[in-house]
Amino acid sequence: MFYTWLILILPLLGFAGLSWFGDRIPKKLVGPVGCATVGGSFFFTLVALVHLLSMEAEERVGNVQTLYHWIQSGSFKLDLAILIDPLSIFMLLVITGVGLLIHIYSIGYMEKDPNIDTFFAYLNLFIFSMSLLVLAADFFFLIVGWAFVGLASYLLIGFWTEKKSAVFAARKAFVMNVIGDVGMVIAAFMIFENFGTIAYLDVFAQAPEKFLPNDDTMLLITLFLLVGAFAKSAQIPLHTWLPDAMEGPTPVSALIHAATMVTAGVYLVARCHVLYDLAPYTMMLVAAVGVVTALFAGSMGMVQYDIKRVIAYSTMSQLGYMFLAVGIGVYSVGMFHLMTHAFFKALLFLGAGSVIHSMNDEQDIRKMGGLKESMPITYYTFLIGTLALCGFPLTAGYFSKEAIIMSSWYADGSNPVFWALAIAGAGMTGFYAFRIFFYAFFGTCRTAEAHPHESPTIMTYPLLILAFFAIFAGFGAPLAHSFLAPVFGNVIPEHHTNVALEIVAVGVALSGIIVAAIFYGEGGKSEEKPDGLKQLLAPIQDVLFRKYYIDELYDVLIVQPVKKTGEFIWNTGEKKGIDFVVDQVGSQVKEVSHLLSIWQSGKVRVYALNMIAGAVFVLIFVVFL
Amino acid sequence: MLALIVAIPLIAAIALFRIPSESKEWIRNIALGSSGLVFLLAMGIFLGFDSSNSAMQFVHECDWVSVLNIQFKLGVDGVSVLMVLLTAILSCASIFYYLNEKNVSTNFLALMLVLEAGILGVFMALDTVLFYVFWEVMLIPAYFLIGLWGEGDRIYATTKFVIFTLVGSLLMLVAIIGVTVVHYEATHILTFDIQTLIHTDIPKDKQIWMFLCFFLAFAIKIPVFPFHSWLPHAYGACPIPVLVLLTGAMSKTGAYGLIRFCLPLFPEAAEMMGFVIAGMAATGMVYGAWIALAQKDIKSLVAYSSISHLGFIVLGIFALNDQGLDGSVLQMFNHGIIAAALFFIVDIIQKKLGTRDLTEMRGLKGKMPILYGIFMLVTMAGLGLPGLNGFVGEFLILAGVWTSASMAGLGAIYVLMGCLTITFAAIYMLFFFQGAMQETNEKLPADLGDIDKKQIYMLLPACFLIVFIGLFPKPFVDKISPSIKQILSVEKTVKTSKGSDSGAHH
Repeated sequence: MFYTWLILILPLLGFAGLSWFGDRIPKKLVGPVGCATVGGSFFFTLVALVHLLSMEAEERVGNVQTLYHWIQSGSFKLDLAILIDPLSIFMLLVITGVGLLIHIYSIGYMEKDPNIDTFFAYLNLFIFSMSLLVLAADFFFLIVGWAFVGLASYLLIGFWTEKKSAVFAARKAFVMNVIGDVGMVIAAFMIFENFGTIAYLDVFAQAPEKFLPNDDTMLLITLFLLVGAFAKSAQIPLHTWLPDAMEGPTPVSALIHAATMVTAGVYLVARCHVLYDLAPYTMMLVAAVGVVTALFAGSMGMVQYDIKRVIAYSTMSQLGYMFLAVGIGVYSVGMFHLMTHAFFKALLFLGAGSVIHSMNDEQDIRKMGGLKESMPITYYTFLIGTLALCGFPLTAGYFSKEAIIMSSWYADGSNPVFWALAIAGAGMTGFYAFRIFFYAFFGTCRTAEAHPHESPTIMTYPLLILAFFAIFAGFGAPLAHSFLAPVFGNVIPEHHTNVALEIVAVGVALSGIIVAAIFYGEGGKSEEKPDGLKQLLAPIQDVLFRKYYIDELYDVLIVQPVKKTGEFIWNTGEKKGIDFVVDQVGSQVKEVSHLLSIWQSGKVRVYALNMIAGAVFVLIFVVFL
Repeated sequence: MLALIVAIPLIAAIALFRIPSESKEWIRNIALGSSGLVFLLAMGIFLGFDSSNSAMQFVHECDWVSVLNIQFKLGVDGVSVLMVLLTAILSCASIFYYLNEKNVSTNFLALMLVLEAGILGVFMALDTVLFYVFWEVMLIPAYFLIGLWGEGDRIYATTKFVIFTLVGSLLMLVAIIGVTVVHYEATHILTFDIQTLIHTDIPKDKQIWMFLCFFLAFAIKIPVFPFHSWLPHAYGACPIPVLVLLTGAMSKTGAYGLIRFCLPLFPEAAEMMGFVIAGMAATGMVYGAWIALAQKDIKSLVAYSSISHLGFIVLGIFALNDQGLDGSVLQMFNHGIIAAALFFIVDIIQKKLGTRDLTEMRGLKGKMPILYGIFMLVTMAGLGLPGLNGFVGEFLILAGVWTSASMAGLGAIYVLMGCLTITFAAIYMLFFFQGAMQETNEKLPADLGDIDKKQIYMLLPACFLIVFIGLFPKPFVDKISPSIKQILSVEKTVKTSKGSDSGAHH
């Protein structure tokens, strides 16, 4: 299976080639080259998939491909190696598959941008990093991939470097992710300390023998890993970077901030499920944070006017569901939602991109409206994406989300509170998803000078393909579960059927849609006329709109004090403190030597006296001591 | 071969002092030729170095002061071979950089070469007295270079620098003699050979004061918090080509001294004081990073970030285990490359814009796309992005500290401080990089061009090393590792009798 290295190497070559020669080849070639490398990766992922399927189930796990010995320092040994198993291939299918579609879409979307070569170079860098993240066979290269996707995300959020807000958003995302990286590094140290290795297979083999459930060390390791997972997947309290990340070009939001990178946290928990199974308390926390984030993000998404921000909040919210799933121990259910989510969320973002593109880069839904007629393909595919997001029966989102909600009632680590909150979140999802849908596509266009038009085919074909999967991927659930089972200890999650619970779940989601239809069915309102929801929620609308003031809170509690302390240390500690003391030592010595220099008066008599005094002193010293 | 490495720059320096300043071609040829030759020789010993052999290699030995049995003995192990290579690279780069300036002074070049010889000598000396001589040789050219060609308050800065360093080095001289005396009392053999002296089992009480004397000299040179107060002034005043040698190579002599002297000579004292010094180093790294956050002047921003990174290196040394020390030595090399590249970039920006104030520069990307790319890579390495060289060193250091036996419970706290430093590093490096390169700026001069070919050639090797060490640290770590093992497990074969403790009175 040595060819699997090509999955990594091709996009890396694409990145290197495009960043080096990108401005020397014709602009028209840049996009196809960028797509070709990712297409190649996708092809080899499919080959690997077939290869895995041709093996016996128990042989599919633990295929480590070593390239070379990377480092050896004392007892710390590390190979540059990748791990091929159903979980990594499952993730790669999403990364390279959806990635390829988004690459193709970008050819149309970024056509007029003068820096399109840089854009495709960065996109290739991202595909490389994300593939490295999921293919890594140890915690070190996991961290390397982890940081590299952070870098690619940073570069792409801040792609329009002349935009001040983009530059700030990029920095914010990077710093938040460094906090996450640091957490993972500490976890890696603890793993090295306790297991003497950081290779997955060795660690996971030893863990169940070495530790009892809820051992302190195990709790700490899993918690530090979670810092990384939460930062990357924008879960509370490290979530504030994701909405701001929407400053980047829309295909980036689709690829990185919806379909792939932000799901890395879920992947991490699933990958380390052996450790998490030994830490039920942490699992409880994972599930709780997940479900709270799902609700919290949904509530913020209900009142935003920026079409991409609303979708960003819905991403946070859906990530919350995935964390809920892995938190209650039904890993492959969470992974399956990850996959369907990648389809319909990429679809929604690309649809939003199509809308933004035709509205001349307008993102405010209050200025849209009536796009149904002028953009039929975008309209229908967006509708499909929205339905799948809401979990409308028989769409892909229905199968994956329903499984999570049912598991949150039945699974071992769950309780009815999780279920109730998850249901409430589903209701909100129905509401905010259809709110932007009605706003954008119904009624009449609220910007007079806009001339909305359907996007070119290179952008609509990816929409159609994604729409196909957003409808039908749900039927692949049993396949996915049995494919992933060898990784998760051969456990295939039970399918629970309880008609009453299902009716409640679907009913709540549908009622969310209905409420949205009542408020906005005839299309949205322009800026001047506040919409119905705003009046209804008047007291808390402001809090929701300002995102619970968390950005402001962080600013007051962390950013400002750190800045002020830095200046204080510099002005007071450094200049007036240490420097002053040192200079004082200098000037005091000068003073003293001034006094001493009296003795060097040049008068021979004084010198002679001194000599005698000195000699007497030495004599006394020698004789008496 | 090693003697040649020291001799070539010295001979070239003498030639430069005597050459008339009109013959520009000759000056250029001598300066570049000599430093280039040293680089080739350094590369030669780096490639010819046998990683499986932990003993000193390429040893060159001859009598110097035979009455006192002082030897002119040079040799390299895995630690010094890296440092020699680093020094040779940086000297070459900074001389090349300086030659592109408008007014080239022969004296400046000659002093640079003397400085290079001094630093190289320190890294290769295997005799304590010889080490001390080279140690002082470094100081003289540095004093004149800052004092004569510096900027701002250069006299104050250079005086402060020299006095600071002299205090430390005089104490070191006392300890150097002390060690030999102890050895002499035990064996009645007078020697200053480091390889012999490290086997002396020095009594604990003496270990401590000697250790402190050595440590102070090295701590000032690195510098370790709170002995750093010469650095901001000296770095601020220092011309960039000298600064590259100062921060890249000379600061490493201190760390190198800790590894070569403090650990093998005084293992018990190192163990005892280890966690205190590590605490100073850890404080220094957070302190430096925190101050760097508040800097508007990009030169002092990089200077304070250097304090922070050097704290990292010292912290790793006092983990007193394989990972910590391997990481530290690797990081010494990495920091040399990264800091040098950053200072070059600072100077390029200053020359182009005429300012170093971060609030006055913005949007250079549009006019300087090549510098943008290189600067981005260096920034990422500087903030320790995994996959590039900076992270390999930092990861090993922190792994070493985390598992360090001598730090016990404090290890975790130091690691957390290290993590805080990394987070701060991300913030100030991005402030620097984004502040200078991104956004838009109408006030940029219209004729602003990208960096020229020569500057690209100078920065490319740094970029190459940043990526290469990130991907293949093995060739480097394999050289370091056996030597570090050797240093950590020196056997004390020469026992000193208890009675000789009060030997001073006969």
